[in-house]
Amino acid sequence: MSGDESAPVPERRRSVRKEPGGLGRRLGSLEVVICCGSGGVGKTTVSAALGMAIAAAEDKRVLVLTVDPARRLATALGIKGIGAEPVRIPKARLRRAGITVSGDLEAAMLDMKQAWDRMIERYSPDRATAQRILRNPLYQRITDSFVGSHEYAAIEALYELHDAGEYDCIVIDTPPSRNALDFLEAPSRLTDFVGSRLLSLLSGGPSRFGFRAMNYAAAPFLRLADRLLGAEVLAEVSDFVRQLQLLYDGIQGRARSVYRLLRSPQTGFVVVTTLEQGPFSEAEFFCTKLREFKMPLRAMVVNRVLPDVFRDPGGVAAASTLVEDPKVAAWLSNELRLRVSADTARFVGRTFLTRSTLAQREVRQLARLGRIGDVPIVRIPLFSEEVSELEGLVRIAKAL
Amino acid sequence: MSSPAGTPRRSWRPSTAVRSAIAGERIELATLLRRRVIFVVGKGGTGRSTMTAALALLGARAGKRILAIDVDAKGDLAAALGSPPAGFAPHVVQHNLSVLELRTDESFQEYLNIYFKVPRLTRLTPLARVFDFIATGVPGPRDMLVVGKIAYEERRKESHSRAPVWDLILVDCAAGGQAESHLAAPKAMLTLVRGGLIRAQVEWIDALIRDSRRTTTVLCALPEEMPVVEAIELNERLRKGSGVAVDMCVLNRAVDEPVTTAHRRLMAAMTDPEHADAVAQRLGGSAALLEAGIDLQAHLNGTTARYMRQLRSKLPMPVVPVPFIVDRTGLTTTRAVADALSSRLS
Repeated sequence: MSGDESAPVPERRRSVRKEPGGLGRRLGSLEVVICCGSGGVGKTTVSAALGMAIAAAEDKRVLVLTVDPARRLATALGIKGIGAEPVRIPKARLRRAGITVSGDLEAAMLDMKQAWDRMIERYSPDRATAQRILRNPLYQRITDSFVGSHEYAAIEALYELHDAGEYDCIVIDTPPSRNALDFLEAPSRLTDFVGSRLLSLLSGGPSRFGFRAMNYAAAPFLRLADRLLGAEVLAEVSDFVRQLQLLYDGIQGRARSVYRLLRSPQTGFVVVTTLEQGPFSEAEFFCTKLREFKMPLRAMVVNRVLPDVFRDPGGVAAASTLVEDPKVAAWLSNELRLRVSADTARFVGRTFLTRSTLAQREVRQLARLGRIGDVPIVRIPLFSEEVSELEGLVRIAKAL
Repeated sequence: MSSPAGTPRRSWRPSTAVRSAIAGERIELATLLRRRVIFVVGKGGTGRSTMTAALALLGARAGKRILAIDVDAKGDLAAALGSPPAGFAPHVVQHNLSVLELRTDESFQEYLNIYFKVPRLTRLTPLARVFDFIATGVPGPRDMLVVGKIAYEERRKESHSRAPVWDLILVDCAAGGQAESHLAAPKAMLTLVRGGLIRAQVEWIDALIRDSRRTTTVLCALPEEMPVVEAIELNERLRKGSGVAVDMCVLNRAVDEPVTTAHRRLMAAMTDPEHADAVAQRLGGSAALLEAGIDLQAHLNGTTARYMRQLRSKLPMPVVPVPFIVDRTGLTTTRAVADALSSRLS
């Protein structure tokens, strides 16, 4: 807020002393922080806030890599736009919003197309192959529709950035997948895809895997596919696939290094969720899978938790009386010397009870989350304002 | 046709802002239910399954034979209808209402079976996998299976009467972008598949999707920033991409019971030091705690109204608020949503 500058010592600035709290410091020693969770749980916002908390806790160069195509995060961070090139968030702006960062905070947005193009260029045995793939009309389609293609692009970009070593810590916001697991499985899925025998079959030509004999066996299949789709389509596919196979060694090697990075002690996964049914079960499932994949879960962030007041037994009792006691309105009218209708009394009780029912459910769910692993669970209360400005982001960073 | 007799009305009263927002442009439930296929789309978590199930209940109540299709096949739709997970074959949930769940591999086998008389055999599996790989790279086929199955159900006739098996098919689409590619698949396929047996099938499926008298879309949103933005963008892309009609936007979890001065005055009086103790005694707890409920209510009212306005200004269609229902998902919630919807639409 700009008005604060001339004010003597604004409240907000004094509060800077006791923040930022735990998670920033806890995750500050990591090189890679991966935020996962269902879409719509506020993952992008939490990643940005997390980056902020880390930059505040540690004197480090922090990059927040987002996949959120909305311009909202840029607005929230107080910058014009986020592109593939990292943009620094001015320290002065952050200070005005109530947070002092000792490190550097930068943000960049992942460019999927660029990430894929670079990947093709990198893994191609020669320039000609790369050019041929990049020019294939199916190429763009496949990068769009391949299951986990965005996830793969994100992982690649992350790997490269980490490898370049320009940043001490990279916080990445994962793409909104239908299944959060897509992110973890993307590298191996791509390897399987490119290396699959079936692709060799399809490509028709001599196979690098020596399954030429199977081409004969595949003939009836291909004939049928031909009938279904028309010959031209199949020819395009087959050419594309043949080129793609030349990339196999590169992709396989990279997949191994990527998994090494994802499992390394310098990496941490943060699962972001709300307590709504869908996202919540997804988060539970994801935590279990992380353990299975031996990837380090470091923290859980539960977003939009109802404030504790809704769990106060006194509040519940008072609200219930207002809703259920038929004589309470008359009593209040008499005591308060104010005409109180039964509807008014019920409304006041009901607005509280509705939320406290939800709050009770949340307690049970939080307990369930607690059993998943011994990692810190950070709750971000449901703020009465939306996070569309830097101040909101700062508030979340402090809650972390 | 009005809403069926005996439909309980919710005691939920929309505020003036919301009432004026939906006045003028309205869509009658009966008009909506006269379509042949309704796609329910929206970002994940916006209540698509519940909305699909609620429309299905309303259709069945109006005496229509309804097929509800779950494209995501996570079992959410069946659950919202109070049924255990369904399978690929339509499963009767209640009178006039069946549900089925789509899975790509099964769709493919049935597709071959229906259109090309290829027997459904296990030895087809490698072919299915080959197809799956092509489908990954070529736009269309995979999505075509989804729309193809829907179109097939739309065309199905009773063997004796030759009447359609279903009056209305409701589709719980996969989240956001996926729904878009399903719906745009026929169009994309037409540019790609110039020959082959598929073309003829694709042409009539495309015609079905573009026919606004037979097919329409219902958008789902929540009073939150991203779901609202995505609903607006999705509308744009659906119309441009697939040419499908979009008839209505539902704002789920709308909070719309205004906090009035009477409420505030009561709060102030109850927390006044002069009365606070007596009130706490009588109510069994401090009234000051209840302030949080009122504040949150007022805040959510404001958010709902703000997003209603945003949707209304950006979407050329009725925007219908459906109240926040506290129950867990399941048939109870679906019924409550259906009741709310029918009271707003008829």
